[in-house]
Amino acid sequence: MNLRLEQVCKRYPGAERPALDGVSLELARGQMIGIYGHSGAGKTTLLRIAAGLQAPSSGSVSYDGVRLREMSASERTRHRRREIACVWAAQSWQERLGVLEHVALPLLVDRRDHRSAERRAREALLACEAEQCIGMACEELSEGQRQRVAIARALISEPRLLIADGPTSRLSRIEGEAIMALLGSVAREAGTAVLVADSDADALLGAEVRYLHDGRLVNPADTQELGRLYRLPSAVSRPAAAADA
Amino acid sequence: MSAKHALLGLLIQRSSYPYELGDRLLQRLGPAWAVNSGQLSQTVKRMEEDGLIERVDPRAQGPKERHVFKATASGAEEFERWFAADTSVTRLSRRPLTVKLTLAGPARLSDALEQIAAYELQCAQRLTELSRLHKSVDESVAGQGPRVRADHVLLRLSLSADIFALEAELRWASHAHEMISWLAGRDAIWSSESERSGTAAQCARNDARARLFGRMADGREDGPR
Repeated sequence: MNLRLEQVCKRYPGAERPALDGVSLELARGQMIGIYGHSGAGKTTLLRIAAGLQAPSSGSVSYDGVRLREMSASERTRHRRREIACVWAAQSWQERLGVLEHVALPLLVDRRDHRSAERRAREALLACEAEQCIGMACEELSEGQRQRVAIARALISEPRLLIADGPTSRLSRIEGEAIMALLGSVAREAGTAVLVADSDADALLGAEVRYLHDGRLVNPADTQELGRLYRLPSAVSRPAAAADA
Repeated sequence: MSAKHALLGLLIQRSSYPYELGDRLLQRLGPAWAVNSGQLSQTVKRMEEDGLIERVDPRAQGPKERHVFKATASGAEEFERWFAADTSVTRLSRRPLTVKLTLAGPARLSDALEQIAAYELQCAQRLTELSRLHKSVDESVAGQGPRVRADHVLLRLSLSADIFALEAELRWASHAHEMISWLAGRDAIWSSESERSGTAAQCARNDARARLFGRMADGREDGPR
């Protein structure tokens, strides 16, 4: 999977400034990119547009060179279901459902037979080290178990692009690192492209981190911009000195 | 280093019976140089064969233990060559204990801890012995009046090299003890899968992951599905 965002802008009606402002990003097979930005920087909008759940106001999104805009509605849906899986911070949980059924659901929706769907679900849970959750109801899960189960469910359709929004935000440091290690091995060993976002840059362990600020990706080579964002005194004083001169 | 050059140096200073050489090594260089009579006899034999040392009175009969040995001219030359050569050792040593600690994994941390504790104890014991010896040499140096015994001063120097090294080892061992105890009480992430495995459960997880990820990786070699 090669995901390519070109000059993507997103403007919500009535908003003062665009949520995304000219974002370009390329994500290849086996790569894990982490989007870091404060709350409101546009991370979730970026992920939703990358997942094809939302259309950009301008700019383009393409998968393997095919622009999303050029696909028919049914093609888009089929593509999304087959190729992309998402783990959202506010995931909808069928609380009453058993964990095994919850994980198997994408395959059942795809009309796969029950037995093989269940076998796949067990395998995915085992791969995510969440096999102890088999037999539990979703409402009984701890936050860490929830994340593992959510990732298992995302992996069951064997996606080529995995998108995760703040997958470690409610976890302890140790649990968070374990989840990032799992996502890292999904990228490395399964070759899936992984796009993950968090408001804590340190949580994006193992990812190539990009900084999203006020809807714009900051070029890491732009030290002055980084200095301004992080309020580094040396970088902040430089433009003032230039203005004096 | 082998005892060869040390023995050669001693024999250049004065000739000796082989059995004397063991005592002289200890007296001049300290307990690190304790050698048994078998090793000593072997070394002396080889040195004689190599022409580095010879019998003072070759006509005398009996086993070589009854002979007085001295350094030959080529022995003296060999000693000079060795003395001039750079024998300083700055290479860091590869300690078996640190390898064990590194590769212990979570399952063997407590075993590693026991080994560190044993090593700490050993260092402390050695240190006590050496300090006692160092002190006794100290006293003998002090008792010599205005003239000092150079051999005692130099023995003290040799002993203090071992003492300083042991002190450093002990310091490291205590630090290691503390760190490993701390690590053992933490929910830590281990660097490799196999360190976490070992249990049947982890093997099953690894298998499942290899199957699932393998299928995912294979399924996408020919572009979009």
